[in-house]
Amino acid sequence: MIYDIFHETVFHYQSKVTFSHNIARLKPKEGRDQELLSFRLDVEPYASEIHAFVDMFGNTNHHLLLREPHASLTVTGHSRVRRRIKEVQRAIERIKEGAPTYEKALQRLSTFNARDIAAKQFLFASELIPVEVGPIRDYALASFHPKRSLYEAGEELMGRIFEDFEFNPAFSDLTTPVETIFEEKKGVCQDFAHFAIAALRSIGLPARYVSGYIETLPPKGTVKLFGVDASHAWVSFYVPGSGWLDLDPTNNIIPLEQHIVMGHGRDYHDISPLKGVVRGSGQSRLSVRVDVRRAALQETEETAAPAHQTQSQSQSQSSPPSDPV
Amino acid sequence: MGIFDRYFSESSFDEMVDAQHQCRPHWQTICDQVEAAGIEGLKAKQAEIDWSLEENGVTYNVYDTPDGISKRRWTLDPIPFVITKKEWDGVVMGLRQRAKLFDLLLRDLYGDQRLLRQGILPAEVVYAHKGYAPEMFGFGNKKDFDLFFYATDMARGPDGKFWVVNDRIQAPSGLGYAVENRLSMNIVAKSLYPGVHTRRLAGFIEEMKAMIDRLSGGDRSKAALLTPGPHNETYFEHAYLSSLLEISLVQGEDMLSKDGALWLKNLSGLTRINTLLRRVDDRYCDPLELKNDSHLGVAGLVDAARRENLSMINPVGSGILENLGFNPFMRNIAKFFLDEELILPQIATWWCGQPGELEYVLKHLDKLIVKHIDRTETAQVYFGRKMDVPALDALRKRLQEFPHLYVAQEEIGFSTVPYFTGESVEPRNAVIRSYAFKRDNEYWVMNGGLVRVASQKDAFLVSSQKGGTSKDLWIVGEEEERAPSNPFKQLPCIDASIDQISTRRAENLFWLGRYLSRAILTTRLIRYAVKRLINVYRDESYASTESQHQLLRAITHMTMTYPGFLNRKTSGKLLENPMQEIVSVLKEPSRVGSLSFTLSMLSGANISIKNLLGIEAWKLFDKLQREWQIFCSANTRMNRTIVNEMDKLHVNLLAYKELVEESMFREQGLVLYDIGYRIESVQLLISKARSLLCLRQEKAAEYELLEALLNTCESFNAYRAHYRSALQLENVIDFLLLNPQYPKSLTYQTQKLLSDLKDLPKSRTHLTEYEVPIFQANSRLKLATANALVVYEESDGVYKELDTLLSDLSDLFMKASDEFSKTYFSHYDE
Repeated sequence: MIYDIFHETVFHYQSKVTFSHNIARLKPKEGRDQELLSFRLDVEPYASEIHAFVDMFGNTNHHLLLREPHASLTVTGHSRVRRRIKEVQRAIERIKEGAPTYEKALQRLSTFNARDIAAKQFLFASELIPVEVGPIRDYALASFHPKRSLYEAGEELMGRIFEDFEFNPAFSDLTTPVETIFEEKKGVCQDFAHFAIAALRSIGLPARYVSGYIETLPPKGTVKLFGVDASHAWVSFYVPGSGWLDLDPTNNIIPLEQHIVMGHGRDYHDISPLKGVVRGSGQSRLSVRVDVRRAALQETEETAAPAHQTQSQSQSQSSPPSDPV
Repeated sequence: MGIFDRYFSESSFDEMVDAQHQCRPHWQTICDQVEAAGIEGLKAKQAEIDWSLEENGVTYNVYDTPDGISKRRWTLDPIPFVITKKEWDGVVMGLRQRAKLFDLLLRDLYGDQRLLRQGILPAEVVYAHKGYAPEMFGFGNKKDFDLFFYATDMARGPDGKFWVVNDRIQAPSGLGYAVENRLSMNIVAKSLYPGVHTRRLAGFIEEMKAMIDRLSGGDRSKAALLTPGPHNETYFEHAYLSSLLEISLVQGEDMLSKDGALWLKNLSGLTRINTLLRRVDDRYCDPLELKNDSHLGVAGLVDAARRENLSMINPVGSGILENLGFNPFMRNIAKFFLDEELILPQIATWWCGQPGELEYVLKHLDKLIVKHIDRTETAQVYFGRKMDVPALDALRKRLQEFPHLYVAQEEIGFSTVPYFTGESVEPRNAVIRSYAFKRDNEYWVMNGGLVRVASQKDAFLVSSQKGGTSKDLWIVGEEEERAPSNPFKQLPCIDASIDQISTRRAENLFWLGRYLSRAILTTRLIRYAVKRLINVYRDESYASTESQHQLLRAITHMTMTYPGFLNRKTSGKLLENPMQEIVSVLKEPSRVGSLSFTLSMLSGANISIKNLLGIEAWKLFDKLQREWQIFCSANTRMNRTIVNEMDKLHVNLLAYKELVEESMFREQGLVLYDIGYRIESVQLLISKARSLLCLRQEKAAEYELLEALLNTCESFNAYRAHYRSALQLENVIDFLLLNPQYPKSLTYQTQKLLSDLKDLPKSRTHLTEYEVPIFQANSRLKLATANALVVYEESDGVYKELDTLLSDLSDLFMKASDEFSKTYFSHYDE
């Protein structure tokens, strides 16, 4: 399936900004499961410098410098991405069949294996995700029995989060700690992803944050409006010997065709779509518009995925959550 | 009885005496000389040292007071730590090797990660440590991503060898103190320790300068020392080192990044910085890519390094090397990189992230010390032998849950060294911090170091933050070295030319001038108004009430605390009972324009330029603030008390002004202060004149308002001397606004502004954008005549010409100020 993605982020400043450094992460990551067919980054007003670099997690970062007085900054990514559904399915099958038991996985991770090195940077606490023992760990252990396959346990954990937690965009913002999300059992996709990561890391499994999009379909018989989508987030955890398994606890889905990956990080901070430093005082507000739709041109050999009822929601860098989709 | 007769060390090793209480040979001379000096002699030498440190302003900020920091004088013991040349040379070999290993480690961890891929270092010990900066991944293969500077703490173990205690990597402190210790010791050494020769330090600093020269491409003006600022515990040292190394001392705010490079903001514009001696911790260096709420760094700094336009001593990311968890692997790392055995012994360390090691630690916990692998000030150290069973069990549980985060170490008793307490000489534990820098592919070790001595007997934790004193390290047993060709120069930290003034300093001086002027003029006007209120009942005149109201309105106008006395609904009541509003305009700190508000802004400017001012000015300002605070928190009812307080404040402000003006050269930035002061004075004079003069009054009221204007400008006597006549509107206008000779007049100050502005680096032969409005203002004033200005409209009684002139002038000066700030302070379009 080929998707056209429009992702616009706008900083509105309280007073005029004359000099600002920003980093945008709007270019979808390429991998075995998806191909980037085209990408364009628009910046308004004119950026005197733009240059791209790839970070440790493989994400493309665009560094933007603005040097003319402006009251708002708009950065828009236009991407065309092909999801390779067969590759995705093959990878999932491989994990399903080859996943070790939790016990075996811990054993392997406690010894040296050159292939696990990159995954191990996702084992520890990060800025937004504390790793502690206690109730969060117990919650994870309820699914991860020593003799159980990681695939099964992971799938179950995802299902439990989906059942136990209420999707509630009014409850949380970026500063809400994972512990609070767990206590109140409320939040949005970002919170569920962060919680799942905290749970998986607390039981010794590497887990990373996935930022991306999900295709939403309008109710039958209606036309989808432009810009009503949102960016999405889920979790990806490491199955030693088999690779990374993505889980979307917000929708209780193992991501297939309709999940488009933007990038990876230890948590949201590593892959926030736009961050900036401006000189001078005053607050800034962020607003976001996202549109994900099937591109007009499609190949025939790929079968269209069945349409799931999905939810997605993400928060901007400023505190108040944006409206739910 | 001799000084050392009661010197008994309980430690397993004492530096000066052996187990038989015999003085070791290399200490014999020093020992004899101390004995000869006697306690009284040592006291005298200590006093000389103290005086020298005091005189040079050597301080160490301590975070001990509840409301922040206090400065503590640096202390130095008159008895040195003595080591033989032979032993030191062995230590140097070990230090060189260790520095080299860390250099290779740094490049590998942020580059090819061979150590991880080949299983020599577990990935967990790297990634569990907060010092690993993923943002810097890939930099290991870049130019100048070297460990240029290395410091380590060493102490002598029970086996008589020096052991590595801690490595100090990302921004090692203490070098400046080590140098200053030596200079202060030199004062007493010749008389206290005649004939003892020790290796010199000067060569080390010269070589460091050479290293900085190489990194900066031969232009040391492109190098700077990045300090977190005056609040940092070792700020003295930052200023001191920058002056020794002859590089600028900068804060993050002094720089900006563009074109993938760092630039220093000066009054004359932007100049490139390509080398930073960094004293800001890793994550605080760049709010864009690292810690996003840091105010100590520069947005874009990491990018400048990414594009190989910036070398850092040491690179951001080197904090990972301050990792106790690396200790157990250093042996294999040395084998891997150099095929060598480790020369310097380390304290036996077990990293709990390995199952076998964890098991050992859990079993022997009561004999071990447990530490976090990160070095943070708050990280707790657990001494197994001091813990009871429940505490040990809790620690065991913690270690099992988070094994990767902890190491356990053998508890080692380190050697003691004689220390002069002020009354006697006692043994104390001591740690040596030694320094090395990279030259080509080798490390140079300083022939000396900073010795820190525990504050109490048997205290193993040695920390400057927790008290304690310092010693000089003497390497003895040599012929006297020739005096170095470049001895230490005590360079005055003065920027010689106005072009070099940093934008931050310039801006702070400009605002210091503005706020000081505003504070003084506000004080005068309100003081006058309150005085008048006291006298108003005495005069029994109707005119007094009228002029009184106008005076109160002038307060609102001048302080811009609208609506104040101009409030349509409440002004009637307010004007009748004005004190509540006046007190608010005086005391309300959150009310923009109030005197308290202005004073707090002034205080901010004062702090930021504090290092330019003399100690008298600091003391005076502290006193002024203290007294004002007391006044503000008291519930003053008596108007007389208010007048008295305002009198005090007025005198204090004037004295402070005098001290500021005496402390600096014009080239150091005083000219910016002058410009700020004048722009503000001019603006406030215009505002005051407009509200007091523009509306026609009855003769008596007019007289009082003229008197008020002249008095609050401190010009009443000058006027009387000049005109020898009663107050007349025309004359006052002529005198205070138009007279080109009277220093307080608008015309005079405008001309002075024009000539001050010519001293600035961006001044040109034709008028600049900020000069144009002032030039226009000057022409308007020149063309004006007093008698044309005193024509009023019958309909509303307004002196139309005067009002228009003043209003236009106000706009022009406002514009000039904006353009001025844009030209010199913003840098955005350069």
